[in-house]
Formats: sequence, structure tokens, C-alpha cells
Amino acid sequence: MTSRQRRQIFDAVLIPILAIITGLAFSSVFVLMTSTPPLVAYQEMFKAGFGCERLDNCSFFLTLERATPLILTGLSAVVAFRSGLFSIGQEGQFLLGALMAAWIGYAIQLPPVIHSLVILAIAMAIGAAYAFIPAILKLRLNVNEIISTIILNSIAALFVTYMVNFPLRANRSSTASTPIIHASAELPSFFPGSHWGVGFLIAVAATIFVWFFLWRTVPGYEQRMSGQAPFFARFGGIRSERAAIRGMLISGALAGLAGAIEVLGVNRQIVAGFSSGLGFDGVLVAILGQAHPLGVFLVAILFAGIRLGSQIGLQITTNIPRELGGGILALIILFVSARSLFGDVINLFRNSFGTGRGIPKEDKA
Amino acid sequence: MPAVEMQGITKYFASSQVLANDAVDLSVGQGEVHALVGENGAGKTTLMNILFGLTRPDRGTIRLNGTPVQIPHPNEAIRLGIGMVHQHFKLVPSFTVAQNILLGIEPSRYGLLDQRDENAAVKKLADEFGLPVDPAAVVGELSVGLQQRVEILKALQREARILILDEPTAVLTPQEARELFTVIRDLAKRGQTVIFITHKLLEVIEVADQVSVMRAGRMIGSKPVRETNLKEMARMMVGREVLLTVDKKPVEPGEIVLEVEHLLVAGVGGHTAISDLSFNVRAGEIVGIAGVSGNGQTELVDAITGLQPVDGGTIRLLRNEITNQPVGDRREQGMAHIPEDRLRTGLNLETNLDENVIVSRYREPEFQHYGLQDRAHIQKLAEWVVTQFSVASARPGEDIATLSGGNLQKVVLGRELSGSPKLIIANQPTRGLDVGSIEFVHRTLVDARDRGAAVLLISVELDEILALSDRILVLFRGRIAGEFQDEQATKEQLGILMAGGVIEEEAS
Ligand SMILES: Nc1ncnc2c1ncn2[C@@H]1O[C@H](COP(=O)(O)OP(=O)(O)OP(=O)(O)O)[C@@H](O)[C@H]1O
Ligand SMILES: [Mg+2]
Repeated sequence: MTSRQRRQIFDAVLIPILAIITGLAFSSVFVLMTSTPPLVAYQEMFKAGFGCERLDNCSFFLTLERATPLILTGLSAVVAFRSGLFSIGQEGQFLLGALMAAWIGYAIQLPPVIHSLVILAIAMAIGAAYAFIPAILKLRLNVNEIISTIILNSIAALFVTYMVNFPLRANRSSTASTPIIHASAELPSFFPGSHWGVGFLIAVAATIFVWFFLWRTVPGYEQRMSGQAPFFARFGGIRSERAAIRGMLISGALAGLAGAIEVLGVNRQIVAGFSSGLGFDGVLVAILGQAHPLGVFLVAILFAGIRLGSQIGLQITTNIPRELGGGILALIILFVSARSLFGDVINLFRNSFGTGRGIPKEDKA
Repeated sequence: MPAVEMQGITKYFASSQVLANDAVDLSVGQGEVHALVGENGAGKTTLMNILFGLTRPDRGTIRLNGTPVQIPHPNEAIRLGIGMVHQHFKLVPSFTVAQNILLGIEPSRYGLLDQRDENAAVKKLADEFGLPVDPAAVVGELSVGLQQRVEILKALQREARILILDEPTAVLTPQEARELFTVIRDLAKRGQTVIFITHKLLEVIEVADQVSVMRAGRMIGSKPVRETNLKEMARMMVGREVLLTVDKKPVEPGEIVLEVEHLLVAGVGGHTAISDLSFNVRAGEIVGIAGVSGNGQTELVDAITGLQPVDGGTIRLLRNEITNQPVGDRREQGMAHIPEDRLRTGLNLETNLDENVIVSRYREPEFQHYGLQDRAHIQKLAEWVVTQFSVASARPGEDIATLSGGNLQKVVLGRELSGSPKLIIANQPTRGLDVGSIEFVHRTLVDARDRGAAVLLISVELDEILALSDRILVLFRGRIAGEFQDEQATKEQLGILMAGGVIEEEAS
């Protein structure tokens, strides 16, 4: 491994961790305004987010369950960003993937494993197809991908709401929802008490895949070069247009996959108001994780854990409003964007971990 | 009392393990034109960055007119009357000339900016120093020479008394360079102190009062220019004797490799950049394109290499028509391209050496199997480039962003000349290189030609064209204004054609 890659990984891991520590330190001010001492509050928060009492009553498993879609939408954003497209269309692709999964999950009959595999594949295809729209708009008509993906997100959200309320509606109950999927389509969980299960393994595999694809394969090289230095890529003979489309297709497929896993592994149906911004959180996770798959993986878990911790730990145990959890997350995000703040600390770490180089007496180049 | 006195300046870059400045002393008199020369990577830019507050030295002191100063930031340098024009410009391409020059110090009326005021202020400044520019022109559309002029004006607008120019002539045509020298001499006469970095020793003799030579981070010596000569300076720089000429075998042209017929390329703004251009380059010969920059060189190169679509005519590579082929296909057929702009086009400064050296060849079976990159082979290529082209302080797998200008150029050259290309398009290949490296690049291009490669050399350096070319074409306003066999051409004749003149038939 070269020192550059080591540094990338180091940054991807260290920056989020430092940001979390600083964010928590600053949030203490707010916690102090309540009657709970910050350390107690944070202890409760971490216990509720990362603690584990018994295998069938383990909050950390719940955190992993919640992290699963975040990892995938985060990876989706990473692939798009690394290909030079600031696509924030994960939400729309996620929703369509979920809708597909919910529908095929109850509408057709297939043998167990095959049923879920077919659904996952179709959801990925739908996500990819939906991501193709902003890609082609960008390349042919130079439509800004940020704007087109925002619009496509709204369209997808409205479409899903319509489908859940009318064509796919299960019954006349007060909240609209689709019918529960067949057991053959479900993704199994590991332990009772949470839906942490096969979906998470898929997310782990996707993390490795994205890393391998971007840093080890020829198309991945093309993606990154086109994203980083478009003139250079063209000069070297890389077909940047193809790379951009490929990047968006993969990005869309990952987001669609996230949506399907959320349905097959957790919700088993779509209830109106589904998702609550999981796609957008993916963009945040990607940025916080320094657009590196490993960073995304870690940040998604931390993100989910802190959120869960602030909901359950703070709200229920210490009576601190859960909004504070949102506040803490926001502060952490702020500190990640101020990454230069950590420059010195990171250098220190790098040197003491031997990824930097000591200062020799003299050097003759 | 010297205007600038730097003492014991030491700077070690931990990230690249380079001692860029090793107890360097530099003393520059008031109103002096001081040339700073040295090999690529000798530490010249670093020393000047320290003076301008961009880099913080580990040790050493700086005095201005005898007063010790701390320069932690360029703002402080500007306050102290120091201005710097960087090796790589730092202008905002989408802004106008006036907006760039007045960036941050815009004149305002009732808190509102007034375009006319700005333009007038810049016009006045330009006239005062005899540096004509169009204040309303957009910087991104200007030639490099004019962009540099904007940079100089920007420094002067901020009342620089000490002007640092980092390789100002590297990007200029000889005419532009001469104009710049007049400007520099004028400034010195007004009592301004000018420090300029250059690799061209002739320029030192032409314009400087004093010359300081650096090598491998050390100050080798400082001398009044009239007490030294070319050979001595070259020896001080490189530490050995340098051949200032290229010797090459007589040309043995083979089959036609590149054939351009009736090429037509529209330039920006609708006028034709290249009109009805036809020529060829054969295996084993170097064809030089001489011309003042802006006469269609960029468009010609972009058309041949596939970076810009053509509007008419055909281009053939080894009898294969490539007129509308994508860049990658042309490269697969053995075309190499040394681009004019190494920072944006030739290199990706955000990634490491390996990913830079492979960009033109990553599809070849040697470097990938079933879509997986063969990292071991790529690293071997990177190593080859570093050793063959002695790219100081570059290492496989490491970043290239901090390499010195000349070393960056060597990375480009190494990549393009690896893998025995059949056609080499070399656009300003020695721009910014030191004498030793120029000797090396010339040698490499001649070797490639002797090996049977066809070389198309585009250069604004007449000396380079004359030294290397077997055949010379003069490009003027997108047409070929004349063709010479190497021996027949003289600098004067070329100069006349390049300026759009006609050579009178002498009694022959
Ligand atoms: N920011 C940096 N970090 C690490 N190394 C650096 C940095 N800046 C310069 N160097 C290294 O210091 C050495 C001196 O570089 P410098 O740019 O001063 O050379 P130079 O004399 O200006 O060369 P050139 O003529 O090629 O421009 C080089 O080996 C370069 O790689
Ligand atoms: Mg330099």
C-alpha cells in the first residue's frame, strides 16, 4: 500500500471520529442547559446506540440494521461523486427500488431464495434506470445534475405516495400501505429483536465491491480520472461520457438495492411516509466519510448509532429531547466540513503511526 | 544596503523528504535585476515562496532594506511591497483583466463597483508601465503572454517595490520575452527590484545585473553578470559540462506516418484557425512547426490528437484515417502527445505517480487483465519513468503535486515516450526545463526519431526548432507560410515568415 492510500484510509477513519468528539464536546453546552450532566447523557446515548445486553436485546444490532440502507445510499453517492457527478438522486432511486420490492414481493410467487434475489436484481435495475435520466440529461443537454436529481426525487416520492395510496393499497385502513410481502421474498434477520440480517451482509459486500471497483479495475480508474481531472482523462483517451453514465448506473443500482433491502429485510411493506430521508442521509454519509467506501461504512454505523442513541438513550432515559440528537449530528457534520481544523492532529497521528516519514538528517534528491 | 537579504534559509519538506533549501543566502540590491537560476527542483520556487510568505522556512532570517521582517502570509508580503508572479498563474479565468487586477482592492463609489472606473484605473496603470492590455477582456481567453502581463500589472497595482517573477519567460514567445525584458529594465530604472527565475542563461546575460545559482537546495554562488559567461553558469548549475548543441545523424525518412490533408478548423469566434493545411511527417524525421503562438498551433495539435473536432479535411495515421476517431483509438495506434499545458491536460495533480504514468496506456494488455489493473506492471512503468528520466524526488505510488515544474514535465515526457510510440506530437516539450534536462529531452526526441518514430515538434523557441528539425514548416495565421529543409533555414528567414513577411528571392 502506498502512503497515499494509507493516508486516504486514515483520513476516512480519523476525520469522522475527530469530528464526532469535537461535535460532542460542543453539544455539551446544550446538554448543560438541561439538568443532566453531559457525561451521563453521552453515556446513556452510547449505551442506547452501541451497547448490547443480550443477543436478542441488543441496541447495537438495531444500529446495524439502521446503518444498512445508509451504507448503501452512501456508497451510491460515493460512486457518483468519484465519477465527477454531484448526484443527490439517491432518495428517488431508493424509493423506486423499495416500491418495486414491495410490489413484486407480494404480487408474484417464487421459491424462497430465488424470490428475494429476483427482487434485488429488479430493484437495482430500476434504480439504475432512474439514475440514467439525470446522466443523459447532463451529457446531452448539459442539465445540472444537482437540479435534475432533486426534481426526480420529488417525482419519485409523489409517484410512490400515489402507488401506495391507490393501485397497491392493501386495505381501507386509515394509513395507506401495501400488502405484506410473501415470506419467500424476505431477507432473514440474524437474531430476534432486530432486523439486522442478510441485508447488512449485502451492504458489507457492496462496500468491498465499490472499493475494489474504484481502485482496482480499469473502469474504476476511468471513473476516478474523469471525476478528478476531466481534461487529463480526455487527453489520455478515456471516454469520460461513458464513464459518467457507468458511474450513474452503478450509483442508481446501489440506491435501488438499499430501497429493496429496507423493504425485504425490515419493513416487509411500504407504509405511506416511508423512507424519511434515507437517501439524503446517504449524501451526508458519503461526504462525512470523505467519499471513501471504508469511511462511508464507519460513518453510517456511527450516524445510525448516534441517532438511535439520542432517540432512545436521551429521550427515554434522561428526558433530553431527541431533537438534541439531531443537533449533535448537525454539529458533527459542521466539524467534518471544517476538516482543516484537524490537519495538525492528523499529521501527528500519521507520524506516530509511521505512515508519515521521520525527518532525516539530510536529503539529496 | 541590499533591498532583500535572506540568510540561512532552510526548508525541509517532510512529505517528500526533500531538503529544498539548505542554509541559503541571497542578497539583492535596490533597483537590481537579479536572476535566480538552477536545475529543476533546485529549490528556487521554494526560496521565493518563502520570501512571499507562501512557505514558512524552518530556519533563517529575512531583512528588507536592513530591517528584519517576518513574512507569515502573502498579505504581509504585499504590505511590505513584495509582489510575485507565479510559475503557474493564479488568475480567475472567468473574470476580466480589470477584475483580476483589482481583485480585493476594487475602487467603489458609494459602495458600488463601477466597471468603467475599474477599466479606467487599469488602463492608466497599463499605460504608465507601458504594458498595454484590454481591461475588459476575459482572462481565460487571453494568450499566456497576456495573462502574464495581467499578473505583473496585478503586482504593480499593489505597489510592489520588489517584484518576483517565477520563470516568466517559460511560456512566452521570443518576441513576448523581449518585450518583458524591456519592461523589467524599465522597472529597474524606476528603482524597482526584480528577482526573476529562469532556465535560459541567454536571458540572464541579456537582462540581469546579478545572477545567483542554486543546485540541490544550496546556493552555489552569486556573481555580477558581466563577470561570468554562459559556460560557467551552466557548469555552476549542473555541476558538469553541458552540451549546448544536439548532434544527430543525417535524416533517413521512411514511410509517411502522419498525413494531414486540407485540414480546416474553426477557431473561437468563428474565424478559421487552420485553413486548408496539408503536410506530412515521415518515420525517422522530426518536422518542426515554427510560428508565433496563436497562429493555429493549439488547434492543429488538438485536431491531430483528437481533442478538438475538425471542420474539414482528413488526417491519416499510417494510412489509417483517424480524422474523427476518439483520442483513445489514436493512442492505441501509437500516437503520443506531449501537451502544451502539463498541469491541467498532461497531469492529474490530485493523484499519484502511477495513475499519471498509465493514463495513455492503461488499456494495453500489459497493464490490465480482464479489466483488472495490473498494479505491479504499472508500478514498474512508474519506476522506469523515474529512473530513465531522472525525475528527482518522485516515487512510485506517491503524490506528484509537490514536484517542481521541471520534474512534472519529465513525468509527462516519460509517459509519452514509453512504449515506443510511432508518432510523437511534442508541443513545447522543453518549456520550463533546465539546460541539463533540455539536453536530455532533445537527446530523447532525436533517439526516438533514430529509432524510426515520426516526430512533430511545435515550439516557439526558434533555437529548438532549428536544433532538432529535419524539416521546418512556418505556421502563420493557420496556413503554412514556408517550408525549409533543416540546413537551408536561418533564424532571420524564419523570423520574417513568422511575422507574416515574404522572403525576397535573392539572386540565386
Ligand atoms: N509543498 C511541497 N511539499 C513537498 N515537497 C515540495 C513542496 N514544494 C516543493 N517540494 C520539493 O522541493 C524541491 C524544490 O522544489 P522547487 O519547486 O523549489 O524547485 P525549483 O527550483 O523551482 O524547480 P523548477 O525549475 O523545476 O521549477 C523539489 O524536489 C520539490 O519536489
Ligand atoms: Mg520552480
